[in-house]
Amino acid sequence: MLSAEGLTLGTRLRDVSLALSGGRGIALVGPNGAGKSTLLQVLAGLLQARGRILWNGRELSAIPYLERGRTLAWLGQESHADFAFPVREVVAQGRHAWGDDGHGVDEAMEALDIRHLAARPITELSGGERRRVYLARALATGAPLQLWDEPAANLDVRHVLEVLRLAQRLAAAGSTLVVSLHDLRTAFRFDEVLVMDQGRLVGHGAPEAVLTPELIASVFQVKAMPGKGLALELP
Amino acid sequence: MRNRAGLVLALVLAAVVLASLALGDSALRPVEVLQAMLGRGDALNRTIVWDLRLPRTLVGIAVGAGLAASGVTMQAFFRNPLASPGLLGVSAGGALGAVAVLALGLAGGFLAVPAAAIAGAFVATGAVMVLARRGASPGHLLLSGVALNAFFGAGTSFLLALSAGRFEVSGQILFWLMGGIENRTWEHVAIGLPGVLVGCALLLPLGRAMNLLSLGDASAQSLGVDVRRLRWQLIALSTVLTALATAVGGMVGFVGLLVPHLLRLAFGPDHRRLLPLSMIGGAAFVLLCDLPTRFVPGGLRLGVITALIGGPFLLWMLRRNPC
Repeated sequence: MLSAEGLTLGTRLRDVSLALSGGRGIALVGPNGAGKSTLLQVLAGLLQARGRILWNGRELSAIPYLERGRTLAWLGQESHADFAFPVREVVAQGRHAWGDDGHGVDEAMEALDIRHLAARPITELSGGERRRVYLARALATGAPLQLWDEPAANLDVRHVLEVLRLAQRLAAAGSTLVVSLHDLRTAFRFDEVLVMDQGRLVGHGAPEAVLTPELIASVFQVKAMPGKGLALELP
Repeated sequence: MRNRAGLVLALVLAAVVLASLALGDSALRPVEVLQAMLGRGDALNRTIVWDLRLPRTLVGIAVGAGLAASGVTMQAFFRNPLASPGLLGVSAGGALGAVAVLALGLAGGFLAVPAAAIAGAFVATGAVMVLARRGASPGHLLLSGVALNAFFGAGTSFLLALSAGRFEVSGQILFWLMGGIENRTWEHVAIGLPGVLVGCALLLPLGRAMNLLSLGDASAQSLGVDVRRLRWQLIALSTVLTALATAVGGMVGFVGLLVPHLLRLAFGPDHRRLLPLSMIGGAAFVLLCDLPTRFVPGGLRLGVITALIGGPFLLWMLRRNPC
């Protein structure tokens, strides 16, 4: 459960209120600069904004940092690295708030298909590989709230589909999962969709109900052409 | 692997400490050093070891461990392998503070010089934090350092010029500028060593959180680190360590850059390992660089030697990792 009331941060967020329940995969879409990353950072407690945020019914500001690390995992857009930590150590950092118990680290690496990279320095990986390492770290936290800012960026098509499948599994297992995306077709694979535009939340609900050609035209300034394009699935 | 690296470095340090106690104008055999340490043997040897070489060696340990630990910490803090107390101007700030006290004749009390060095270093750190925000490009960070080094250097030169007629004062000021650990007394040990040991002891448990911070502020916080508190701890400790090292050893350059970088290449970036290894390695490096100064009278001082090694090393680093 993740809810917020009246989140406002300059012009980046304007009076955003929402209530997200567990067991649902939620896609967050919007044009560049709509406030998607800002919203995720504010919800994760990484950026201060006016308004209220509740994690599982508790006021965020009252939750100590270590407990936050056990409760919510955030994947940022930045996936740069200056220090050559081996991949496995980076994933194991996800267990920081659990006293580095190493629990679930191998499973997380398996899920993101990076076991073969375990001993490689993270600085030597490609952008997409590094993304999967940071995703595995978020997964290894075991946190029930997962906020991923463009996990599909730089990923090849198979790994995009695998990440989406992972998202669906986590949601099915009861997690509250919010994933920001640029590919609107991908958003239809989620249970719910949030649409942001110019710092405002302009749509929230089932993808079919929210992502109408009218809304797409007004928010993204493109024309929706149903039935066109290539449909891809994992084998 | 972890323990072996520590053991090897500790043995290197032990050997260098022994050499530092044994070598000089009158060379002692290892047995004579041990006898003198235990208060036995020749009275002259006891004086040489206890009054001259042991304080010098302990000050060298404080300077080396302090600067190297400070360098590791600044590199994690600025998420930048080129950050170091010398390049950022923190050492120069500390030196200016100390020189000001000496030149203006304020160095009455036992603690005036180190207190001024600490104050100067904190002013410099504050300026760095304003000029080069975290995550600033290496170029930006280094240029801020160039500006601060020039500024503090000019202040120090001005004070040196003011003291031109007073040879004792200008001699002391030159000491700050070149850096060295000769003629150190137990007073210097008392100023530098306990503080450095406490600072290092406080840094060691932060290694785990430094690992997370060195891969990004926001992600570290999301994983459960109180980033704001950690940042204050790191910047305060690294500044105090640099200031104490500068207070007792003057401006000894490049230790905080060179030692952590080489150890990181050899043993990886894990700060739980890198911090203690850098403390040991920094102490050994400073004592090693101090040895030749005993046989070449005059200009070849500790700070000169570390700069002669460190300057080319920095150029080599820049060639490997262009800004």
